[in-house]
Amino acid sequence: MNNLILGRYLPGNSFIHQMSPQSKLLLTFYFVAIIFLANNVITYAILSVLIIAAILLSGISVSFFIKGIRPMIWLIIFTVILQILFSAGGKVLWHWGPFTITQLGLVNGGFVFVRFLLIIMISTVLTLTTSPLAIADGVQTILKPLKKVKFPVDTLALMLSIALRFVPTLMDEMTTIMNAQRSRGVDFGSGSLKQRIKTAVPLLIPLFTGAINHAEELSTAMEARGFTDSEHRSKYRVYHWQVKDTLTWVVFLLVGGLIFFVRK
Amino acid sequence: MAANIQFDQVSYTYQAGSPEAHEALSDVSLTISADSYTAIIGHTGSGKSTLIQHINALLKPTNGTVTVGDFTIDNQTTNKNLRPLRKQVGMVFQFPEKQLFEETVIKDIMFGPKNYGASDEEALQAGLKAMDLVGLPQKYQDTAPLDLSGGQMRRVAIAGVLAMQPEILILDEPTAGLDPRGHDEIMQLVQQLHEQQHMTIVVVTHQMDDVIQAADQVVVMSAGTVQKVGTPAQIFSDKKWVKQMQLTLPTSTAFAAKLKAAGFPLMDVPLGLDQLTMAITQTLRGDSHE
Repeated sequence: MNNLILGRYLPGNSFIHQMSPQSKLLLTFYFVAIIFLANNVITYAILSVLIIAAILLSGISVSFFIKGIRPMIWLIIFTVILQILFSAGGKVLWHWGPFTITQLGLVNGGFVFVRFLLIIMISTVLTLTTSPLAIADGVQTILKPLKKVKFPVDTLALMLSIALRFVPTLMDEMTTIMNAQRSRGVDFGSGSLKQRIKTAVPLLIPLFTGAINHAEELSTAMEARGFTDSEHRSKYRVYHWQVKDTLTWVVFLLVGGLIFFVRK
Repeated sequence: MAANIQFDQVSYTYQAGSPEAHEALSDVSLTISADSYTAIIGHTGSGKSTLIQHINALLKPTNGTVTVGDFTIDNQTTNKNLRPLRKQVGMVFQFPEKQLFEETVIKDIMFGPKNYGASDEEALQAGLKAMDLVGLPQKYQDTAPLDLSGGQMRRVAIAGVLAMQPEILILDEPTAGLDPRGHDEIMQLVQQLHEQQHMTIVVVTHQMDDVIQAADQVVVMSAGTVQKVGTPAQIFSDKKWVKQMQLTLPTSTAFAAKLKAAGFPLMDVPLGLDQLTMAITQTLRGDSHE
């Protein structure tokens, strides 16, 4: 559990920490979109420079970002290998049965690798510098236009923030339940597949029971304090668009334009 | 074979090696002898729960060794072959009713013994015996655990641990959230297991009254270290120190101290309720005889 860097937040006070969550969210989507425009060495280099700048500006040690790659490494390697083995074109370097390694394949494999890295890095920058609640808030701000078509944006945002809020609680509870069942002789993560599925039952049932109890208690507590979903809700923390956001957007848009011109 | 528990210079660091590493135990050396009743006290975050989770190798020391009978646990210990140890060490967690998952009470209680290789019949016998021990009427054996009251659910959970017939029983705040009556019943049960089944008892508690009534040995923890080990009398004799440790005095001891301060001739020793009553009676009788 402790290695899971995706979705972890590290409090701080850097340039990126201070940006408003809605703009960070949108920037992340925008960045992922322009990654797919990149198709040669220069464009990937430009994007990499941008990411490195973002990582440095976040004030978080690089080791955290490197750790973020670890859970994804097999997916990356698998995709890169597929890319290398099955993309045709260019000089044939090696050939065996249905597999061919071509020059283009190698280049494509390299690009896919960099693409993965870039996407993981930008989302890690987002989640490391933005608290889950701020992300929920950002989503709410971004979805606000949907209110016009009667979409329950506020309720959705509330659901999202409650869900995020309970992740650590449920994690703790899971650890406790696992320890309790281990003490009763359960060996988690060993034995045949059938045995493993069997050990999931004494873990999942208490976990679900606990989650449902939490939900009930929470809804009682909310109603006791007069919660309804109909009223316009004010916020304790309001995130304003700042000069920092505008500046970053200018940089990102310029980079986007640049990519568009330099790409093949 | 009763087993001693020995901590030898044990340190434990959560998330060792990461930027968020923090040391929860540092250099703990401690002996808990077989057949003893040990209470572990200390304010929240002092490392009590971390300490007890070492006894059945749920946590392995970052440094140092823990010995339980023939087992030695150190940072090289793997998760294999821990079953015999875990069978020997019963662990009742805080709010143990959270671990219940089976459809019926008896099935849940039989879960532990069956994991340790008991046949259905053996597990059933052990389960019924455990229900008897914790004072659950047998008519409940086919009830769904979640339909029981909180106090009864806790008994089921404790029975589930007892059914494994451990030699050492560890309880982490076993009475948290129970009403006074439930509290007394659980503490009586623990006392009885200690006296009649000769189990080694280790209890983490915030209730000083329980400590002074039952424990032979008290371990006071603070900031991940053992501050003091001694009999309840030794621990509670230094009122200033007890306060410094952010602990309270047992009610009877506090009362005795007040009596003494008010001029009542009483030896300033910390007393359990029974001893206090006796001391007062004796003093009063002594006075009237003179």
